Amino acid sequence: MAGELLEFGYLFAVVAVTGAVALRLGLSVIPLYVVGGVVVGPHVAGRLDLPYVADGEVVALLAELGIVLLLFFLGLEFSLDRLRAARRNIGRAGVIDLAINLPLGIVIGLAFGWSLVEALLLGGIVYISSSAIVTKTLIDLGWIADPESEPILGTLVFEDLAIAVYLAVVTSLVLGGGGAGNGGVAAIGQSLAIAFGFLGLLLVAVQYGTGLFTRVLDIENQEAFVVRTLAVVIPISGAALALGVSEAVAAFFVGMGFSTSGHRERIERLLTPVRDVFAAVFFVWIGLGTDPMLLGAAAVPLVVAVVLTTPAKVLSGYLGGRVYDLSTHRSLRVGVGLVPRGEFSLVIAALAASGTTQVMREVIPAFAVGYVLVMSAFGTVLMQRSDLVERLVFRGGATESSA
Amino acid sequence: MTVYESDLPGVGKKHEVELGDESRLVIVTHNTGKREVFRRESADSDSEKLFELDDKLARQVGTLLEGAYFQPVRSGDIQTLLGEDTLIEWVEVEEGSEVAGQTLGESDLRQVTGASVIAIERGDEVITSPGGDATVEAGDRLVVIGPREACRNFVDLVEGS
Repeated sequence: MAGELLEFGYLFAVVAVTGAVALRLGLSVIPLYVVGGVVVGPHVAGRLDLPYVADGEVVALLAELGIVLLLFFLGLEFSLDRLRAARRNIGRAGVIDLAINLPLGIVIGLAFGWSLVEALLLGGIVYISSSAIVTKTLIDLGWIADPESEPILGTLVFEDLAIAVYLAVVTSLVLGGGGAGNGGVAAIGQSLAIAFGFLGLLLVAVQYGTGLFTRVLDIENQEAFVVRTLAVVIPISGAALALGVSEAVAAFFVGMGFSTSGHRERIERLLTPVRDVFAAVFFVWIGLGTDPMLLGAAAVPLVVAVVLTTPAKVLSGYLGGRVYDLSTHRSLRVGVGLVPRGEFSLVIAALAASGTTQVMREVIPAFAVGYVLVMSAFGTVLMQRSDLVERLVFRGGATESSA
Repeated sequence: MTVYESDLPGVGKKHEVELGDESRLVIVTHNTGKREVFRRESADSDSEKLFELDDKLARQVGTLLEGAYFQPVRSGDIQTLLGEDTLIEWVEVEEGSEVAGQTLGESDLRQVTGASVIAIERGDEVITSPGGDATVEAGDRLVVIGPREACRNFVDLVEGS
């Protein structure tokens, strides 16, 4: 017990130090938490015989809470009304984004000889942009005030919905034995049926249970408010996972339920620190489980993915910007603005790590960590130097059209 | 004036105000309460950030802009509101004003502007209910009553703008 508490203290000290470095450098905390986790984890500090944080069950459990709360907050911000209001633009830009980037990732995976489920995991990792990093950079660069922020944020909303459906399907495929390739169609069908049955019921409950959600949280006392919110989200997510259904998607739906309860702003104000604490543990935990040696095995897919998916994201974002009737200049920025990948790619990696094959357990998580480290930094730099990107792209375009 | 409102999912709301020329004022209200104020020169240029305020400060500044503490009035004018739209206003007649040296009958201010002179203050003397033959001199202060619009016309005419 004493040893574990000390380890936890160590973990939070790492979070504090890497967080301070991120703040100082003006970077997102996500990649730095992950790097911090790698450094103090069993694979680096452990091998050097230094005190290290073990990749134990307790850390994993708290990290799980991080995933649940991240997706819960996504659901809070996600509103069907908002999607409906801007359906045409968000829908078209979002579909372009999905139709280019997800299949590209799947094709890359298949090209490396991976199974369909493994390739699907890779597709998800390279598809989903990082809401946290993109939004922070939009604000830092002042793009938030310009028209390009609308298609960027709209596409992120669409991705949120897409990732909920994606996680629902892929969780069943991975946990339902489909990953081993011998589960058979029946087993996959059964786990998918359970997933959609459970999530369907939850969605109905969320749609018609607004009154109940409102009453549960109708309380002055802050402590009771926070505890009750957690007492709804965590048991439902836990029940989902116990049935082999994505706990993340369950949390997302509960978030959607709370978003219309009239308590949304209070939840965000009071629970954001709670989410941030557990999300930090999640990012460090991802680092703890990453063996830098395994990055070697993932190096080739990593390089291929970075080289192919960066221009693909810029292109899909550019086309999305054109859907919003933006100029070529602003549309290119939409593309550049969607390049950073982060938290959700890591959520998918955590799902892959619970899979059955060696590719899922080792290669994909290592790949995802490397990919997120590269794309979060590279994406942010591209946004900062979008003027250079623009000169490069449009000069190339000009010579092409003149040739 | 047109104001454009748009949602910024995960961030807050954005309002854009046309400033009359090409440029727009862009106000981003974060969910945290922070306000960021930008100015965009033209449709194609990037917004320049002017300043940011926290929620409390933004409300205070907003109240100031709204005029809750001080309603700007033209220099030398004092006004009192009677009912919804009727004002009593004090108007200085400066040297060189169009009406200086004329009688009220000659300048025909009531017909032209719709506002009536109810008194003329000249030094310590007050001429109440002046007739058409009363002369207005430079340095006089005219006490005027009428609808807001009429008073505005009156001030413009007397001040020669």
